[in-house]
Amino acid sequence: MVHRERSYACIHPETYKYFFHVDEVRRIWGVLQACYGPLHHTPGFGVIEIQSERFLFRAVGGGNPITVIRRRGCTDADVEALHRRIGFFERA
Amino acid sequence: MRERFALQYKADEHRRMIGGKETIIHCHHYNARLQHTIEHVTDVDGAKIIRDSAEAVFAEHVANVLEEGDDEATRLAAVGALYAHLGFGRLELSRAAEGVVTSDQSHYVEGWQAGFSETQRKACTFTEGYLQGALAAALGRPFSVREHKCMNAGDDRCEFTVDARHEPVLRNDKRPSDFHPKAADGHGEHGNIDEQAIIDALVQMPFMGSDEGLIPAFGVYLALTPADFYNLMCIQFVEQMRAKGLFRTAQRLLTFAGETCAMNTFRGIMASAEWDALIAPMIQHKEDALYGLMALSNGFGWGNWRVTEHRPAETLTIESLNGYEAIGHREYRGSCDDPQCFMLCGVSAGMMELVYGEGLLEDRFGTFLSEENQCICTDAPCCHFEVEPA
Ligand SMILES: [Zn+2]
Ligand SMILES: [Zn+2]
Repeated sequence: MVHRERSYACIHPETYKYFFHVDEVRRIWGVLQACYGPLHHTPGFGVIEIQSERFLFRAVGGGNPITVIRRRGCTDADVEALHRRIGFFERA
Repeated sequence: MRERFALQYKADEHRRMIGGKETIIHCHHYNARLQHTIEHVTDVDGAKIIRDSAEAVFAEHVANVLEEGDDEATRLAAVGALYAHLGFGRLELSRAAEGVVTSDQSHYVEGWQAGFSETQRKACTFTEGYLQGALAAALGRPFSVREHKCMNAGDDRCEFTVDARHEPVLRNDKRPSDFHPKAADGHGEHGNIDEQAIIDALVQMPFMGSDEGLIPAFGVYLALTPADFYNLMCIQFVEQMRAKGLFRTAQRLLTFAGETCAMNTFRGIMASAEWDALIAPMIQHKEDALYGLMALSNGFGWGNWRVTEHRPAETLTIESLNGYEAIGHREYRGSCDDPQCFMLCGVSAGMMELVYGEGLLEDRFGTFLSEENQCICTDAPCCHFEVEPA
């Protein structure tokens, strides 16, 4: 089960940390790389991230949770597509 | 080109030198807030202050990174590459000779969208000044640059017109300060925070613009801005306000910008992956968050400041050995009668409100009061800030 918690980032008010099952998270990063671009390890703080046009995906080395920061121009459709890819469904 | 911008870090002073200029790390939120503050006072021409300051500083900065034998194409490439490297965004300069420059990524637009999205106004005064200075350095003649389309106003890109002008390029006149900071003697309270580990991590981190010319890190967009720009802009703002009998208003506004910066930027930083990775594991008590923020700001090049006394949630005393505002004021104007470190003063209160406050951020503003009661600018050996509940 994926769940998410509201986080805070100056870049976008709708920022969340997504928590994945420990057995799932490696596969999820694979999905994100396939859809959004290469994974980078930032020296210094041990953060991994993918920078794409509409999203920033960031995590501490272990990869879980994943902070998803929306960027300027990110639409509801972009968010829906992301949620489909990572298997996140909002509870009604 | 990038090797011309290689970071030289002066560990003893906590200074980040790029292209011969001391650069300071601040985020899009603070930069936009500062611009908003200065441009919204109707008593002075704030846009001109920002444009002129950027022109004088970046004419010098771009000249620093040009090399003998660079042809015109290389010199123009340096204009765009430095702007992107510092995190200000992406410029398209191929039509500069025809009088048009465009931009599809902008640090300042991100800041306005984050803080003042309702404004829908052109936001890129800083870029106008940058281009005036940088193009003059690259092409050897002065220009006037004005933005006429802006992403913050709903356009698909920012667009600037570049016109020849007669007035000479503004100069960045200052003289080396005769002030010698007292030694950092290892005193100061750090709680459970390993400040050196944080600073080492920051120095290793490759702060430079991505392909888009932006630096997303710590949950914010960072930029590396020459200290000269902040100093020249704030000094001129305060002087012009003082001439209208509004010194206290200027002081209050710049301090408030610092307080807002601490609350918003530092809140973003404390929710970031970087914080979770390195700093959160060091935290055992609430006050450790405050020490962690102090360590980070030292690594950001703000200077070398440290807590000398702290009663959690009650009072805070900080001394700053070489803050860029104080050193800059002495370089540009010499010493004076009033403390000048408005940003650090506001940040001091903002950190207390953030770390110990409860509830919505907007309800926490003004719950702590800070005062700079001695300043390097008034010939004191260090700057000294006191914070207490309002
Ligand atoms: Zn613009
Ligand atoms: Zn001072």
